[in-house]
Amino acid sequence: MENVLEVKGLSKQYSKVLAANDVKFEIGSGEIFALIGPNGAGKTTTIRMISTLIKPTSGDAIVAGHSVVKEPEKVRECITYLPDEAGAYKNMKGVSYLRFMAGLFTSDLNLIEEYVKRASEICKLGARLEDKIGTYSRGMIRKLLLARAVMTRPKLAILDEPTSGLDVINAIEIRKMIKELAAKEGTSFLISSHNMLEIEFVSNRVGIMAKGKLMTVGMADELKAKYNAENLEEVFERVVLENEVH
Amino acid sequence: MKFINLLKKELVELVNKQMLLGLVIAFSILFIVGEVTNEVIEDVQSNIYNVNIVDEDDSDFSHEIIEKLKTLQGSEDEDGIKLNIIPKADLNKDNYSAVLDKHKIDSLIIIPSGFSKTILEENKTAELKTVSRMKSASALSSVSSDTSGGINLINDCIKTKIMTEKGIEAEDISVIDTPVTVSDTTVVDGKQSEISAGNIMSNMMTRNMIIPIIVFVLVIYTSQMIVNAISTEKIDKTLETLLSAPVSRTSILSSKMLAAAIVALLNAVVYMIGFSSFVKGATGSVAEGAASQTVNVGEAMKQLGLTLSAGDYVLIGLQMFLTIMISLSVSIILGAMVNDAKSAQTIIMPIMFCAMVPYMISIVADVNTLPTAIKTAVYAIPFTHTFTSMNNLMFGNYSLFYIGVGYQALLFIVCMFCAVKLFNSDKILTASLNFGQKSKFKKSNKAVSEE
Repeated sequence: MENVLEVKGLSKQYSKVLAANDVKFEIGSGEIFALIGPNGAGKTTTIRMISTLIKPTSGDAIVAGHSVVKEPEKVRECITYLPDEAGAYKNMKGVSYLRFMAGLFTSDLNLIEEYVKRASEICKLGARLEDKIGTYSRGMIRKLLLARAVMTRPKLAILDEPTSGLDVINAIEIRKMIKELAAKEGTSFLISSHNMLEIEFVSNRVGIMAKGKLMTVGMADELKAKYNAENLEEVFERVVLENEVH
Repeated sequence: MKFINLLKKELVELVNKQMLLGLVIAFSILFIVGEVTNEVIEDVQSNIYNVNIVDEDDSDFSHEIIEKLKTLQGSEDEDGIKLNIIPKADLNKDNYSAVLDKHKIDSLIIIPSGFSKTILEENKTAELKTVSRMKSASALSSVSSDTSGGINLINDCIKTKIMTEKGIEAEDISVIDTPVTVSDTTVVDGKQSEISAGNIMSNMMTRNMIIPIIVFVLVIYTSQMIVNAISTEKIDKTLETLLSAPVSRTSILSSKMLAAAIVALLNAVVYMIGFSSFVKGATGSVAEGAASQTVNVGEAMKQLGLTLSAGDYVLIGLQMFLTIMISLSVSIILGAMVNDAKSAQTIIMPIMFCAMVPYMISIVADVNTLPTAIKTAVYAIPFTHTFTSMNNLMFGNYSLFYIGVGYQALLFIVCMFCAVKLFNSDKILTASLNFGQKSKFKKSNKAVSEE
């Protein structure tokens, strides 16, 4: 399986805190990789570095053959990023927002309309897309943003807490959608979540972070066996506690 | 294409119904106030020689005065008094209001009984009685109830009659009456014109009022716009999405600045038209009235070199552009520090002060005449140069003007360099200015940076 992402020893030093410490992992084409860890573990910092939002202090990440340090513009053409608790422009109509975001990825008007059509089908907001985003519920905004994140068929979609704020039914729909896109279209996903059930259902492989370090990486079943745990939640607890003891 | 897309989005965000409504309201208020003031002044000017008179004396002399006043009456199109003779039967000394109401007038001059006897036979100063209705404390509204114009005319009539009776020739009377006339000459920078400095001043005030107001509005408005544009993106976390899209950060920054500049320009045009109408209404009628009695003010301004050439207007435009660009670049830096909607409103305070100080000073004093230390301090504020640009160009202080332009250009380059550097660094996402306040944003940001 060809790698879409190769994270090579990414580190980020803020004034007093080493937020990410020599993080290494890779994601293959069509793979769903979940990054989990307690608050302050360094997940968002790692994701922000891969998304080219912040520059790494050391190390590099290669996205579809492009370095986040040397070719951030090229990297941005291959990825989409959905931040946690992200909003959208309240004065815009849903469809205008999709058109605007599509216009940042291509100048081809036909392709823009194709992206918008695809996003409209994915988010299933129907006629509400003609309403201003300011009138949407939190769940509706999340669906719109998720559709936006996958409409351009990115090689790597980076989703920070993709189902936060969604009800159970909507969350299930989103998880199914992610799996479908990965399987049918070969889109790779880097997901960060606190929901272990979601991670276990969606991801192919899991990476557990604590105190800026990637402690362990593996498939959910492998990790459960390795840590002699019944579920991913127990694996998570053991990895985090082990790290605190040391 | 991508830049146009970004620019369109910024314009859609900035030009919303609230903004347009605000603009329409501001324009309407300025226009209406200007028109109302203009009408009131015209009304006052038409009423200024309204002479309402009651002749209680009913003597040959009082008749003679009234006949003389009648000759001073003007037709509707001409200047002159409007004489209104009120029958003495209508007068009730205990209720003057009734006679004012009945004849729909606001002032009344009464020639009391025995008036001519006191002057002609007793050779004493006689007393005229006046009644004035006060409707409000407004300066202009009280003019219609002013009786001084009519009294002056009556005084002149009596003066002329007495002097004629004492054998003084008509020519001598006019010399006695106005022994001195003034021929004004104003000198500006080696050029001169036969006009009073007062007339020039009142004419220049009209123009000089507009530029500072426009600059002030523009600076505040553009700063607030760009701070909001950046802080809202930060607070709503749309900035992260935007920065992760395949567009350069410089295009994002430029689109925001250009959109703010376009909207600011739109505001400038609307405010300029509105203020022109307002200022013309407030001072135009009076200035025209004053100017009609002397030399053509426009001609005099040309003679004195106080007119601005097309090139001068280009220079003023350049300086206004630099002013807006400085405001925008500083606002980008300030906007990046903002953590919440509340601080987004207050963070432009430093810019407001920098605009307010020279604005206030330019209204009350000439910055160039201030003591050197204060003058240097005031000129260190970049916006001061814009407020004084018109005066500097009119009075030939070109060196001061160009120093100002150079200083502003340098400051803009420095501020813009810092803004671009900030926007291209991690700081655009992590910078915060909280003055010790623990905001929700800072806490979440701290958590994120620790992750």
